[in-house]
Amino acid sequence: MLPLSLLNAAQSKPMLVELKNGETFNGHLVNCDNFMNITLREVYQTSAEGDRFWKLKECYIRGSTIKYLRVPDQLLDSVKQEQLRAREANRGARGGPGGPGQRGGRGGMPPRGGFAGRGNPRGGPPRGRGGPRGRGM
Amino acid sequence: MDSLIPFTTSGSLVDCVDKKMLVVLRDGRKLFGVLRSYDQFANLVLEDTVERFYHGENYGEVRRGVFLIRGENVVLLGEIDLDVEDEVPLQPVPQDMIQPVHKEDFEARKRREAAKSSVLFTQKGFSREGGEGDWY
Repeated sequence: MLPLSLLNAAQSKPMLVELKNGETFNGHLVNCDNFMNITLREVYQTSAEGDRFWKLKECYIRGSTIKYLRVPDQLLDSVKQEQLRAREANRGARGGPGGPGQRGGRGGMPPRGGFAGRGNPRGGPPRGRGGPRGRGM
Repeated sequence: MDSLIPFTTSGSLVDCVDKKMLVVLRDGRKLFGVLRSYDQFANLVLEDTVERFYHGENYGEVRRGVFLIRGENVVLLGEIDLDVEDEVPLQPVPQDMIQPVHKEDFEARKRREAAKSSVLFTQKGFSREGGEGDWY
């Protein structure tokens, strides 16, 4: 689970975002991309000194201005479980008609379906370990 | 096997996964947590994170949970040696004792850095760099 995949999995979850200038934004994640640009909904903005507050209906934050994000503790566990379930589902599907699903035509998660069990790190728990080696970095 | 992994940011962090790590941020914050994941930018995922506030030999701790840190804000990432962690001659104290003095320290440091950079800029011909809360 790469950091940005975790962010993707955090969609609709509450989070705290601190910018490099110290301002913080509390809200629910609406969307994000691979630059870490994000949009939040129902946001409470706090000044760097923590003495002023604003309420915003929705806001967009450019990824490059972010210092860190804090996400709910349960998110890591639920993502791990989700990965496990996806892998189980794949294992079951590969035995059935259609063969070793290279086409990845399984509803909802095409990229995972396509590579499961073929040595690609996606879906394995220690993604960081498998990743670089697999790509020959 | 490890020798197959070149010394790159990502390569050198492989061994740190699932270890208790200290992360120092550019704003001077110290975070202790278990490194769960990272990527080629050294973006980090920390679990069970606590933030420590130091003052002299004393420190206070605040639980912070899961962090996703943008890599460019990281100054330092170090593994905590669990065998000697408790032998460090530092005193844990309640956070509310540390909070006010830590704030003072912080403000004092801010003033010192501002004075320093103003001298460098006005008298020594240095360029202005960094910015608010950026001490690295």
